[in-house]
Amino acid sequence: MLVALLALPVACGLVCGGAPWRRGLGWLGTAAASGVLVTAAVLAVDVVRTGPVTGLGGFLRADALSAFMVVVIGVIAVLATWQGVRYLDAEVAAGRSSRRHASLYLVLVQAFLATMLLAVLAANLGVLWVAVEATTVVTTFLVGHRRTRSSLEASWKYIVICSVGIALAFLGTVLVYLATLHVGGHGPHPLDWTSLVAQSHRLDPGVMRLAFALVVLGYGTKVGLVPMHSWLPDAHSQAPAPVSALMSGVLLTVAFYGILRFKVIADGALGPAFPRTLLVVVGLLSLLVAASLLLTQRDYKRMLAYHSVEHMGLIALGAAAGSPLAIAAVLLHVLGHGLAKGVLFLASGEILLTEGTSEIERVPALLSRRPVLGGIFGFGLVALLGLPPFSLFVSELNMLRAEFQVGLGWAAAASLVCMVVIFAAVMSHGRHLLLGPRGTQGPLTTPALVAVPLVGGLVGCAFIGVSAWPLQPLLHAAAHVVAP
Amino acid sequence: MSASTYASALGLEAAAVLLCAVVTLWRRSLGAIVRALAIQGLALACVAMVIGLHQRDPGLVVVGLLVLAAKAAVVPMLITRVVRGDPGSRETQPLVNVPASLVAAGALTFLAFAATRSVTALVPTTAGRLIPLGLACMLVGFFALVTRRKAVSQIVGILLVDNGVALVAFLATAGVPLLVELGASLDVLLAVIVLRVLATHLRSRLGPFDLDQLTELHD
Amino acid sequence: MVGAGISSAVQVAVVAVGGPVLLGVMRKVRCRLEGRVGAPVLQPLVDIRKLFRKERLRPDQATWIFALAPVVLVSTVAVAAAVTPLVTTHPAFGAGSDLFVLVYLLLVGSTILALAGMDAGTAFGGMGSSRAVTIGALAEPALLVSILALSATAHSSNLAAIVRATLAGPGSVATPQRLFALGSLLIVIVAESGRLPVDNPATHLELTMVHEAMVLEYAGPDLAVVTVGEAMRLTLLLGIFVNLVAPWGVATTTHAADIAVGVASLAAKVALLGVALSVFEVSTAKVRLFRIPELLAGAFVLALLGVVSGLVVK
Repeated sequence: MLVALLALPVACGLVCGGAPWRRGLGWLGTAAASGVLVTAAVLAVDVVRTGPVTGLGGFLRADALSAFMVVVIGVIAVLATWQGVRYLDAEVAAGRSSRRHASLYLVLVQAFLATMLLAVLAANLGVLWVAVEATTVVTTFLVGHRRTRSSLEASWKYIVICSVGIALAFLGTVLVYLATLHVGGHGPHPLDWTSLVAQSHRLDPGVMRLAFALVVLGYGTKVGLVPMHSWLPDAHSQAPAPVSALMSGVLLTVAFYGILRFKVIADGALGPAFPRTLLVVVGLLSLLVAASLLLTQRDYKRMLAYHSVEHMGLIALGAAAGSPLAIAAVLLHVLGHGLAKGVLFLASGEILLTEGTSEIERVPALLSRRPVLGGIFGFGLVALLGLPPFSLFVSELNMLRAEFQVGLGWAAAASLVCMVVIFAAVMSHGRHLLLGPRGTQGPLTTPALVAVPLVGGLVGCAFIGVSAWPLQPLLHAAAHVVAP
Repeated sequence: MSASTYASALGLEAAAVLLCAVVTLWRRSLGAIVRALAIQGLALACVAMVIGLHQRDPGLVVVGLLVLAAKAAVVPMLITRVVRGDPGSRETQPLVNVPASLVAAGALTFLAFAATRSVTALVPTTAGRLIPLGLACMLVGFFALVTRRKAVSQIVGILLVDNGVALVAFLATAGVPLLVELGASLDVLLAVIVLRVLATHLRSRLGPFDLDQLTELHD
Repeated sequence: MVGAGISSAVQVAVVAVGGPVLLGVMRKVRCRLEGRVGAPVLQPLVDIRKLFRKERLRPDQATWIFALAPVVLVSTVAVAAAVTPLVTTHPAFGAGSDLFVLVYLLLVGSTILALAGMDAGTAFGGMGSSRAVTIGALAEPALLVSILALSATAHSSNLAAIVRATLAGPGSVATPQRLFALGSLLIVIVAESGRLPVDNPATHLELTMVHEAMVLEYAGPDLAVVTVGEAMRLTLLLGIFVNLVAPWGVATTTHAADIAVGVASLAAKVALLGVALSVFEVSTAKVRLFRIPELLAGAFVLALLGVVSGLVVK
């Protein structure tokens, strides 16, 4: 089953690679993503019922945490590939990209999905690293897909900074390998995660401290944590909207998944204090930077990108708390953030397509000019700011509760202050974007094909916020993987 | 091979890696910097091969040959192609001037020694004692990346970071599992290819470019 | 049995006489490589004798510094030559052949010459003095750290002890520590003695001069003494370098035969190094003045790397 999960996007990519762009190929991509989602759901049920599943001779492994991440990837992939069809249609119609180039986009997106799936299903820390590295390479081309000057600059910055981050993460992995060798782990898979966790209390603390710090810095680059976050606003604002949705919604959290895996080992070797301090520092810094820079944003896509930095900071703080409640809240937040941010980026892509500019100043009064799109964008902002009934409210509340329980009350209070500032900033930007007089034109309609998935995403987010019913056992099991 | 020959050969090669890193901060001409990078790749390959010969591990020797091909031949060739298209091939004024960069490199070397004390305590062999040199090379590469303006210099910074990490990997563990090592080398190659493609795109769109000119995206 | 005092005197004599000869050799090699015949090897000695017979001219506004500087220069270099292990590892006042003593003796000479350059009251003199002092100030840290790196193996900063330790343990010739330190030392020696690529000793354009500008106003016997002092300084620095790199041939006992062998080996090694330097000078251009700090910073970092490698490779 795990192999099937990986095979779906790979096969679709191969098919798309052969032919120039046609609508049908785009829908094939969406079908592959839906297949991934369905398989993910089956896998999740299986894992919750019978425990971790392995595949490919121990090469792949899915425990509850991996299964949850696969579900997240599946959901957002469906949304993004759906919108991708419209994006590519518009690009080819406007002559900004050839058919070959459009089908290259499809292949790259499928490759992106495949590498992300490999990263969360890897049993071995080395394979995890290779997969994350592969995502970097693939997304560089996706970010620069539009071939404009600023998107090329963004993809340059992206690959330069992320290559350094990946190298740091590699060094961290090497140091962990060194520590295991020292305690005699010479087996065929010395970097296997389960055996590392089993031996974690025997690993040398000095080396593990250095290794964990390097991993947080290295994978944290891909998560977008300060101080290695400067690629994020550029890359996410210049990439095509579906790619931004995928990157912001999923890739950041896949990289954070890597940090979580390392955190389990570090907790065993060092005790919870050091990893907690490190993650708190990094999380708070991200919140501060995001809060201060959000106040002066003029571009709505950049605003959304900085918002991602804030949410990643929140997730880091939640992970720092480390109790099962905290981790469950973090994972719920991952799903909710992915949905809401994905919907917002896709909506902003639609706005960009029809308005032609991404500056907030020049796109006023969306609610009166384009009611459906404006409504989606507005509700998306509401969701992202953590208001009920959307799931981010629940997850943020629980994260704060867990932080207070663990003794990180001061950090929680600081994060609350930052969140208030961000609330104010986003509200003011959103007010300008959404409200205002209509002007002379009548209201424009948004095609149903575009609106349906976005509305569906928002509804899903609200549903999870009200009752986490289908996901509860999965969340429980996943939380206990990280915080036993 | 005898213990003292092994120790001195390894010491020389590891020191050569760090020396080449310092030379990239020292010299201004991009051609000289790329040559230093090629020599660094050669030294790195020699480290792998020497360790492989000493421990009679043929896999490591093969990895050393691969590294030689990739880092000492292919990568410098790719970069020279990028440089050749750029007529102004001297470094423009870097953000931090050369003497200050060199002193910073010295400080970073000491920092590397301080940071890896626990690692060298864990691996008290001849190879293990040279690990701080690898970390120092990585820090110097990071510094070069942050303080240089030309696109090629930033690529050079990334390569220095990669070479430093690879040196630590070779010394610390006598090579990580082959799969990961292949992944790492592939990573370098891919990164450089991607960067070269990007550079070509950028040049075709903007003409000979200085990264200083790429400042549209900022806050 | 030859006393330590005699061997020191021999050292001073060798340096004093050999200095101008070394200059002649280097000039000859350079001329040959440039396709010219060049002056005879002993020409500098002849020039010095000629200068002693000329009239002593001093600027009117020069003070006693101007008159004293050449003498102080020669005497400090002579004292340094006496106490450093050039021909023998047991010179007189051997305990005083500390690297700090050496460095500061040379510094006294450079300082007094710089003062004399300003004392003449000309613009070129001041310019040369300021340039020379800048280069000296930048070269000094590199010099100190590189000899520190070399001294780490001998656990002492006494030059004689370092040379003795290197003679005793020949296995440690090609360690990274020594290679870094010696590379740095070579750059510093080139800077301190005013050779290319830092300073062109054969230039006639005053604006490009660093060292020559300081001594522009000297004439007659003063100039002769200054030239001797400079030649002795170069020989001393090169001699220290070859004895730190390859000390074989240095006398370890005080037999007369050993001293003779020591003199011969010193002469041969210094001549070889001088020729190599000349070949290098022919093929290189002068570094621009504001790039010299980069060069010397590089030398400093090389020396630092040498110290660092010494910590690592035990």
